[in-house]
Amino acid sequence: MPLHDVGYRPWQGRRSGSLAAIFVIATTGLTLAWTSRWLRRAVFFAWSPALVFAGSFFVFEQAIDEGRLDSIRESARLGRNVDGVGILGRVIAESLGPIDAPADRHLGPEEQANRTRRMVWARLMLAFMRSPQAILLAIVVGLVAPTLVSRDLRVKAWLIYFTRPVGKFEYVAGKLLILGLLVASITMLPALSLWVAGVAVSPSLWVAVTTWDLPLRIIVASLALAIPTVLMALAYSSVTAESRIASFAWFATWAACWIAHTSLSTADMVQRVSDDSVVSQPSVPGEFSVEEGSVRPRRANVRPRAPAGDLGETIVDFIEGRAPGDGRRPNARRVRWFSRVTGVDATIDRWAWLSPYHALGVIQAWVFGIEHRWQAILPPLLSLGIVSVVSAVVLWWRVDAPARA
Amino acid sequence: MSPSGPVVGNGIESRGPGHQARMIGSPPVEEPVQATGVVKRYGQRTVLDRVSLRVKPGITGLVGPNGAGKSTLVKAILGLVRLAEGSVRVFGIDPRREPRAVRRFVGVVPEDECAVPGLSGVEMVRYAARLSGIPGIESLRRAHEVLDWCNAGQERYRPVETLSVGMRQKISFAAAIVHDPRLVILDEPTNGLDPIERRAMLGRLTTLAREHGKTILISTHVLPDVQAICDSVIVLAAGRVRLTGSIRALTHPPTPEERLEVAGPVDELVRRLVARGIPARRPHSTDLFPAAAGSEGRFSAAVGTMAPGDGAQEGVVLLQLSTPDALAGMWAEVRDLGIRVRSLQAACRPFEEVFLEALQAPPSESLHAAP
Repeated sequence: MPLHDVGYRPWQGRRSGSLAAIFVIATTGLTLAWTSRWLRRAVFFAWSPALVFAGSFFVFEQAIDEGRLDSIRESARLGRNVDGVGILGRVIAESLGPIDAPADRHLGPEEQANRTRRMVWARLMLAFMRSPQAILLAIVVGLVAPTLVSRDLRVKAWLIYFTRPVGKFEYVAGKLLILGLLVASITMLPALSLWVAGVAVSPSLWVAVTTWDLPLRIIVASLALAIPTVLMALAYSSVTAESRIASFAWFATWAACWIAHTSLSTADMVQRVSDDSVVSQPSVPGEFSVEEGSVRPRRANVRPRAPAGDLGETIVDFIEGRAPGDGRRPNARRVRWFSRVTGVDATIDRWAWLSPYHALGVIQAWVFGIEHRWQAILPPLLSLGIVSVVSAVVLWWRVDAPARA
Repeated sequence: MSPSGPVVGNGIESRGPGHQARMIGSPPVEEPVQATGVVKRYGQRTVLDRVSLRVKPGITGLVGPNGAGKSTLVKAILGLVRLAEGSVRVFGIDPRREPRAVRRFVGVVPEDECAVPGLSGVEMVRYAARLSGIPGIESLRRAHEVLDWCNAGQERYRPVETLSVGMRQKISFAAAIVHDPRLVILDEPTNGLDPIERRAMLGRLTTLAREHGKTILISTHVLPDVQAICDSVIVLAAGRVRLTGSIRALTHPPTPEERLEVAGPVDELVRRLVARGIPARRPHSTDLFPAAAGSEGRFSAAVGTMAPGDGAQEGVVLLQLSTPDALAGMWAEVRDLGIRVRSLQAACRPFEEVFLEALQAPPSESLHAAP
């Protein structure tokens, strides 16, 4: 018997309310999840792209500070690598247009710098949250989420919760909070840190005022990223007691939807280049009008269609992001995927709703003020909304199913 | 939503000024558990069929064969299942309407081993305490205190999935009582325990009931455990209550009697004792078990005797030794007849026999023994 055994004693203390259980479940779940070595590595790795992007912010702000904005724009348009990793050059080249664009003429140097900064920062943030972070999010959520509910079902740990003053709401909210905090730690926090870093390396702290909306947009974009993915992952976890199956389903969904999206987009493009007599590539982004779901040039930079028999070359051109028949423009090799990532691809991705990754990208572009066309936004928005609602209903129904059985 | 306001101990729930405080954990005015006409169906299968029962303060055994509806009844008490008919009240509160309020003063030891893999024993108990509303560091102190009482030792620091079955049972028990519940429901609490630990567990349950005023409901198949510690019992079979009552009433005769087991001329001894004015007779099942009238032969075998008047040289005599003179008189006759006494003990019947008889009775009969 322990020396300090005082026997069983009544407990007369102040009890916390039921909602405190949410934080108990979340903190305990996070503590347990953090014991996974792979998760720690993934979260650590998830912060490393922020360093790369911080370099781009630094170079951009340095150029503005030294009054080299025009020269860096020109360098970017010529395809030169201006920040060492090529991100900034692509963003500037594809989003700002020529130096003598009509919109820029009447602006003073400071207004022009602010306008440029807002545009470039927003696209850098979008690129950051889409290409490395969204993919890392899928990995991190895939490492943690499948076990969260399925393990409780397998080891009957649900009894621990539902025999105590913990309802379904607290249970589900606690589990969602685990994933929400993890997602925030790899998307929202690095992006906010990037914004802080951008302000810190800018010529004046006044930049924080001129870009005040970016942190809010980052938070909203992170929520847009987190809500559907977290709900879907937990729904998968709740329908099986085997976390391996939930894990497989999660990764298979991302992979299969990506493949389906790519296949259908490619097929669309092939169809388009076969049917259309002319195919264009915009010289200025945003100069497009939408007609019957396809994008046609308003101010055509029209080039003749590739000769018959060159379909293979056209597809290669498409995959590499060149206009068909455009030839190899020196120092201007652009990758279509990156264009979409940074929100400078003006075509409407009509299959984006099919793939979570692409649908989330469109929504994020909307949140960052880059995408405004409802024809592009609505299908992914509906798709993600339906996925979220169905996942929430499944999750709500399944979490206490063993208790009802 | 349940009330999320702070609750002081097991006492008064406070929702701020102006709200009339309600006693939810104070010494219960209402009965701990009261079920009235409870019907629960899973599809076409009726699992609980018009179950009405009361669980009184003390230790109550809930026994029945597999599939009798015990687990469903426990779920109904916790408000986990929706009833087709009837109602359940726990300390006067409807668990379906206010499940969180009920679960604040209920602790449950489930039959299935349930634990969160990765947590150590003490972390598991602390987790349970925090989920029940015990805050921060106090939950850790309380977890250690309860584990000490359960004699958990240093194994409490090992991950729960690596613990032995018995140790896990202790952890589960500690987690159920860490928040000082008024009602403790245990499903097979002695499963996996060695004889020493089993006895210790029963002792802890007795302590909780006798010294701390807890109401304890034990669902078990180990009938000797029921007889050893329970005050009353509920026998469920095929979704119906087949027998309720106090253990004493079910296993002891209506008037206090002693059971004398002897080797020698039993009938002669009975005759002499009666002649001395000491009430004595060979046992009849109907004397001991009013509910078993009409099944005499079956029960005479159960108490280890033979029918009276068979000239047996050994057997059992039931007698009332209400005065010291009666005891002295009995010993005098035993000495005089040269009878060898094998045992003298209070007359009672193994609960197992009561249980089996209750199961064999027609389903329409629901037997009730007076407390």
